[in-house]
Amino acid sequence: MSNFSRTAQQWATFARSWFLIDAKMQPPGKIATMCSVRLQGKHKPIYHALSDCGDHVVVMNTRHIAFSGNKWEQKVYSSHTGYPGGFKQVTAAQLHLKDPKAIVKLAVYGMLPRNLLRPNMMQRLHLFAEDELPEDVLANLTEELPQPRDVPRTLSQYTQEERDAFPRLWTPPADYKMK
Amino acid sequence: MTSRGTPSRFLQSVLQNGVGRYVCQLKRISIIFSKNAQSSLGVREFIEEGVVDYAKKNPGTVVYVSPNTCRIPKIVAEYLNGNVREEMVTSQTSKEILELITKLTNQSGLDIIRLRKPFHTDSPSIQGQWHPFTNRPPSIGPIRPLP
Repeated sequence: MSNFSRTAQQWATFARSWFLIDAKMQPPGKIATMCSVRLQGKHKPIYHALSDCGDHVVVMNTRHIAFSGNKWEQKVYSSHTGYPGGFKQVTAAQLHLKDPKAIVKLAVYGMLPRNLLRPNMMQRLHLFAEDELPEDVLANLTEELPQPRDVPRTLSQYTQEERDAFPRLWTPPADYKMK
Repeated sequence: MTSRGTPSRFLQSVLQNGVGRYVCQLKRISIIFSKNAQSSLGVREFIEEGVVDYAKKNPGTVVYVSPNTCRIPKIVAEYLNGNVREEMVTSQTSKEILELITKLTNQSGLDIIRLRKPFHTDSPSIQGQWHPFTNRPPSIGPIRPLP
């Protein structure tokens, strides 16, 4: 016990892990839930609201997130510049074209607790529009988290055999003219 | 008002008292009263009825009974750690005084102040404290989800 250092134990317990989440074809809300839990440190058995035990979260492919339903057109992001008549409203699609990281960032920001630690937790969220990560971030990563949704395959990813084996309701006759 | 500015300590016992055997931490108790005053009536009654029984029951405690010309009778309890507590027993009945003395006997003599936490352990964990790598499958580089 004498040569066992409590300091090293403390550092080990409160060491920050870096999680990687691939947001390709994932709903932003699901991604934000995973992020907010880990940014607050609520996945740890040592969690306490007053001990700053949040982890780092790296989200890649934020450009390729998938909204369900009609949200790209119907979901509205509002802001106010502070000047008279400065109320701005943009749809999710417009915001995404302007900044591919903004939707995930706003979703995570809204899920974090409204206290003075929120800016610090947001600083530990690292968003990347594509799947290329800088070297220093790659070196820190400790765990890649499973995606909440299965990524659907596109038509080009199916082989010709799979396409032929796909069940058909109706076989067009040989002289059928496609419109 | 927050209680952060008030003095505080951690939950503790005196030298693990009671783990092997219990040692009464009350070293000396003086009952200071007046022979005539009305306010000492209950104390005089207690001295007639209960103080000998108390002294016999607690051989580890020295009991002083000192008559004094005083308006306010009091009980001074001295503990093994050097703490002294004075309790006023003005116009209290014999029964109340016995209760008070029993309470003083059972106390450890540590300061009665705010406890930082209502729990304490001398051996925090045998298993070892949690850290991010406990129960983590061994891997070179980051852990990946199962395909």
